[in-house]
Amino acid sequence: MGFLALSFLGAVLDKKQVGLVACSAVGLAFLVAFWALTDLMNLEPAERIGHVEVLYPWITSGKFHLDLSVLIDPLSVFMLMIITGVGFVIHVYSIGYMNDDPEYSRFMSYMNLFIFSMSVLVMAADFFFLIVGWALVGLASYLLIGFYSEKRSAVLAARKAFVMNVIGDVGMVVAAYVIFQNFGSLNYVDVFAKAPEMYLPNSDAILLITFLLLVGAFAKSAQIPLHTWLPDAMEGPTPVSALIHAATMVTAGVYLIARCSVLYELAPYTMYLIATVGGITAIFAATIGLVQNDIKRVIAYSTMSQLGYMFLAVGIGMFGLGMFHLMTHAFFKALLFLSAGSVIHGMSGEQDIRKMGGLMAIMPLTFISFLIGSLSLIGFPLTSGYFSKEAIIISAWHAPMGNIFFWGLAVVTAGLTGFYSFRIFFFAFMGKQKDPNAHPHESPVVMTLPLMILAFLSLIAGGLGHDVLEFLSPVFGGHVPPHHEDGLLEGITLTLGAVGVIAALGLYLTDEERVKFVKDMLLPVHEILYRKYYIDELYDFFLVQPTKAIGKFLEEKAERQGIDFVVDQVAEKVKETSEGLSQWQSGKVRVYALNMVGGAVMILMFLVFY
Amino acid sequence: MLTIIVFTPLIAALVLFFRKSLNERQVYKTALAGAGASLFLVVCILLGFDTAQPGLQFVATSHWVPALHINYQVGVDGISVWLVALTAFLSVISIVLSKNQKTNLRFYLGLLLLLETGTLGVFVALDTILFYVFWELMLVPTYFLIGLWGEGKRVYATLKFVIFTLVGSLLMLVAIIALSVIHFEATHELTFEIRTLVHTQLDPATQLWMFAFFFMAFAIKMPIFPFHSWLPHTYLACPIPVLIMLTGAMSKTGAYGLIRFCLPLFPEAIHDFGLPLAGLAAVGMVYGAWIAIMQKDIKAVVAYSSISHLGFIALGILAFNTQGVEGSVLQMVNHGIIASALFIIVGILEQRLGTRNLNEFCGLKKAMPVLYGLFMLITLAALGLPGLNGFVGEFLILMGVWESKTLLGLSVIYVLMGGLAIVFASIYMLFLFQGAMQESSNKLPGNLKDINKSEVFVLLPACVLVVFIGLYPKLFVDKISPSAQKVLHMEKLVHQKSEGGGGGHH
Repeated sequence: MGFLALSFLGAVLDKKQVGLVACSAVGLAFLVAFWALTDLMNLEPAERIGHVEVLYPWITSGKFHLDLSVLIDPLSVFMLMIITGVGFVIHVYSIGYMNDDPEYSRFMSYMNLFIFSMSVLVMAADFFFLIVGWALVGLASYLLIGFYSEKRSAVLAARKAFVMNVIGDVGMVVAAYVIFQNFGSLNYVDVFAKAPEMYLPNSDAILLITFLLLVGAFAKSAQIPLHTWLPDAMEGPTPVSALIHAATMVTAGVYLIARCSVLYELAPYTMYLIATVGGITAIFAATIGLVQNDIKRVIAYSTMSQLGYMFLAVGIGMFGLGMFHLMTHAFFKALLFLSAGSVIHGMSGEQDIRKMGGLMAIMPLTFISFLIGSLSLIGFPLTSGYFSKEAIIISAWHAPMGNIFFWGLAVVTAGLTGFYSFRIFFFAFMGKQKDPNAHPHESPVVMTLPLMILAFLSLIAGGLGHDVLEFLSPVFGGHVPPHHEDGLLEGITLTLGAVGVIAALGLYLTDEERVKFVKDMLLPVHEILYRKYYIDELYDFFLVQPTKAIGKFLEEKAERQGIDFVVDQVAEKVKETSEGLSQWQSGKVRVYALNMVGGAVMILMFLVFY
Repeated sequence: MLTIIVFTPLIAALVLFFRKSLNERQVYKTALAGAGASLFLVVCILLGFDTAQPGLQFVATSHWVPALHINYQVGVDGISVWLVALTAFLSVISIVLSKNQKTNLRFYLGLLLLLETGTLGVFVALDTILFYVFWELMLVPTYFLIGLWGEGKRVYATLKFVIFTLVGSLLMLVAIIALSVIHFEATHELTFEIRTLVHTQLDPATQLWMFAFFFMAFAIKMPIFPFHSWLPHTYLACPIPVLIMLTGAMSKTGAYGLIRFCLPLFPEAIHDFGLPLAGLAAVGMVYGAWIAIMQKDIKAVVAYSSISHLGFIALGILAFNTQGVEGSVLQMVNHGIIASALFIIVGILEQRLGTRNLNEFCGLKKAMPVLYGLFMLITLAALGLPGLNGFVGEFLILMGVWESKTLLGLSVIYVLMGGLAIVFASIYMLFLFQGAMQESSNKLPGNLKDINKSEVFVLLPACVLVVFIGLYPKLFVDKISPSAQKVLHMEKLVHQKSEGGGGGHH
């Protein structure tokens, strides 16, 4: 099993010009992950509890000891399968997409670095290396968002993403301290074994740990209020958006909570917080997605919204369902992004949906993939999204921790999802071409083939639902979550989704004039949504500006006019005093003699009286 | 052996001072040979160092001033051995960097070597008077190096630096003498040996003032907020090669002094006053980082970031436990490597562009791809990316603070301040790196060249170490561990008279 890690290390070292090497490295990693999967499948379910492989002792400092080791258990192998599988497909796609870029090899090496880091993250056997992987994926994400480093917006977006992630990292590091202080170890195995015995539900330590970990999870998975970096992250090349900001990295937060399910089950309060934030993020992002015009930004908001679903799922204790949705989402969202990338590629870099149109005939394969992706996203029956999302929405009501509020958030979001996803679909693919200067063309095979693979997975992956839940069950306390059946709720969800689609169709078909009054009426709302609820502006006003102001204050007032000034004043005073004193050294013998006598008297008096 | 290490640079320096006939090339070679020989021997010592043994190794003693029982005694333990190695390493780097210094190279390199001897001496001295002599010896070459070869307000800066440091070191001298006197009163044995003196039991009142004196000296040298105000002036005026010695090696003497003297001698005083003092360190951490964000001068960014990082180191020491102290020692090495690499980069950029102002240039990536890669790595290490060396030190330090008994009550706040400093570090480092290297600009000089071989040569070792320490810190921490334990749990063999008439002596 140690080979597993080595093959990933190999993936990083490849900096060859050829995309082939990069792809085969990831492909090889996928095969190894698959091999690990079959290994695990051959074991009896009860024996699949996981296996820690120590590579080398990393540090010993006092009581604190840490080995560099990897954990192979159903959850990590499951994540590895997604990461390397989807990663491989996207690598192949990148060969086509990035073909013209002069820095093609740099791109590929960053992508490999990402796959490596993400593997570290999911294979870590303790919280420390979790943090290492956590920060490394942040780095890879930073590098890839800022890949077009000559573009100012890309540089700013990359910086924003990095700083937000560092905030999350700090939360995780502090969490690690609390864990170490309470459990004397950072290993998952030790911590998870001790936690239920040592702590009652909702005890302070557990709440603190789970909350601090949550800061990291929210930052990485773009949940409110640490979400603003994700839409900006679309500045990166599209394969990056597909791989990192849809399929894998942003789901790390969900993985983290699932990984620590033992701790989170002891902290119902935190769970409620997760579910609430997840639900609110879902609807919040969906509403913003309604009005954006950049095709990638819409999909980015949709990702945020779907991540909200996953958080909702794990927040109500349905860890398996969260992971299942993570998987299906990885397929269909990667598919959507790659299709969008294919559109952008075909349109020579155009991302504004208002300038697209009529692509159905010109890009048939892309059209079909996008359609399948969208259907899966809105949960059209029998697509993969249907199985995973429907299960979450119904659980939001029926699960022990579910309630009508969560369900309401989830189901309204489903309606909004229908609208925004088909709004871009209609705009891009239907009707006539709007920009006479554009010369769209279908993408090469190396790009459409990955689309086909992902489309296939998006269609059929839903059928794996039960297997996934069963496979992962050893990690989540050994029980498969009960399947809730509720025809009525399902009907409501589907109806709302359909209403959303029809509304999008309506918007598309009706001409401008007739809906003008509706538009005018909704204008303020539209403005708020278009400006993303002014969150960026709020951050700027409440965090960025004060930080700058205080920094300026410290520099000018505290430093120059304060500390430094005082020091100089002291020096000045000393100088004055010494000038005064130097008069004693006037060179006049009489004065010296007087002083000597005075001094002698003083010494005598001292001796006599003391 | 340590004696040879310490004095080889001195001999080279003397050769340079008195052999006027040498041409520039010979001067450079002599200096490099002196520093290089020293570095080679340090590597030998590292290889021969017994990790398991907590005490001092390679000890050499001879009489110096027999009448006062002042000895020449040197030795290293697991803490100082790394600092010696760091100093020797940085000296070689800074001499290589000085190659192009045109004015009066002979004296310039001679003084650099003298500075090396002083710094090495501080780390290996086992006699308080010897320690003091080396401590002052560092000051002399620095004074001339900045005063004569510096830039900007160099005289003002030098004066400030020297006066600040002298105030501290005179206080320290008083405390050093008092310490031996107290020891003499208790045992009737006059000694200045650090190894013996640290076993002296001091009553709380004495501890208090002596601690204050020592602390002032070390706090100024490091510097710890609010004694830092000499630093920005000095760093900005200082030529880059000297700055590397200053920030990389000399600033560590303050931290080293804290560990060597304050921890074993004044446990009660630290217990009582560690909390507010650590508060200063923590404030310095955030304060330095906050000001660094606002800087446009790339040299000033790195200078203020140094205040922030040295605050981390001080905080770790004041945590007064194993993780904290080990983290601090490791972080000293890390900071020495990272800050000097950053200053080298600053120097390269200034030399190429003729300006240090971030508003005046950007988009260097295209012209300087190699520097881009190395700069990025160093940037990431400086902002504490896990997997690189900076993170290991910071992680251990904050873990030490979190678990610290002396900082109980405020440790959470200090850790959060550390977290804030780390977030700020990512901001100012990215401002620096992205501002200089990314985006695009058409105002750059057309003949801009990437870094050449010798520049790669001085940056590459730092880059390798950054990655290596990050991946395998055990190698380093294992050597530090036993010594750190020993410093923290110093047995008190010698008691003051007032507390039971003497007691056994060592």
